[in-house]
Amino acid sequence: MPTAEQMQILWNLSDSVLYPEAVALIRRLVNEEECLPLPASQVIRLLNIASASSYTDLMRFMRHQRERDWPDAKKDIPLFYTELDKYFTTFKNKRLREHFPLMQADKPAKEAGQEVDQLMALLARDFIQHLVTENALLAVKKAAERGKRR
Amino acid sequence: MKSAEESRAISKDRQIALEVNNQAENFYEDAVQLGDHAAYVLKARHRSQLTGLENLAESAWKVSDVLDYVKRQTARFIYQRQTWPQEAQNQAGGTDRDASATLGFGERLLSYLEKNLEKRCDEICRRLEIKADSDEGRKQRRRVHLLLIRQFIRQMVIEYEFRVSFETENAKKGEA
Repeated sequence: MPTAEQMQILWNLSDSVLYPEAVALIRRLVNEEECLPLPASQVIRLLNIASASSYTDLMRFMRHQRERDWPDAKKDIPLFYTELDKYFTTFKNKRLREHFPLMQADKPAKEAGQEVDQLMALLARDFIQHLVTENALLAVKKAAERGKRR
Repeated sequence: MKSAEESRAISKDRQIALEVNNQAENFYEDAVQLGDHAAYVLKARHRSQLTGLENLAESAWKVSDVLDYVKRQTARFIYQRQTWPQEAQNQAGGTDRDASATLGFGERLLSYLEKNLEKRCDEICRRLEIKADSDEGRKQRRRVHLLLIRQFIRQMVIEYEFRVSFETENAKKGEA
């Protein structure tokens, strides 16, 4: 379990780093790379996995989704999971220690690994939460734009 | 006896409360405008949209929890995306100076909570020398922004209740 101090850092991170970066990621995919917003079925599955599973299980799910053979109409979905995977992997390898400098101090490797995974699971949950709410808003805007064009 | 550190923390808390109250005086008019917009689009029958928001804001640990909630409700319900036409503003006796009046209610509220209140939060943090270069500073900053959001939402909900009370009264008169 993360300590009270770690939870405070996590909440700070969620507001000042994860929220703006989740919004920027999904806006880039939808507005600049012209991907379709993530469909509701994917959003529900992703939220369920993120809120109930370990970080390892979440990554396994995302990689599975990325590597599935998707029909042409859904070709944006694996791109979305590739971006998400890239974000979490970079965060874990390069940024986590910067935000949690006291983590893993004097801990055996197995325990230290568990601590990293627990923190990453919480971070990923928040990031996904921010991302899917922005995705919902973008989906509504895109639908309204399509309606106007008709 | 309180330690010097405890006394400093209490004093800082008081300063924050005072600054947030001062800012609340300054944004009162904006809260009224958004409360009127809410009354126009939500009417009395969607009151739960605002009570839900108020409850969430009171118990949230993070600013982003409140922003996510507003986004979710905006995406889910068409009335949350309704604008407040000039004609309706005139009937309500209000004139909206805010350029974002062309936005739907949810987006307008989101923009206010996120951008406008962040600027006010910056001002308070600058005055109280709360710096974002430490975890403690970032925690204080998050708290200031949340306190501003709570104050703003409280004021907006009061205005909304005031406006919809006329609607309920008129409906009763119509029935009688």
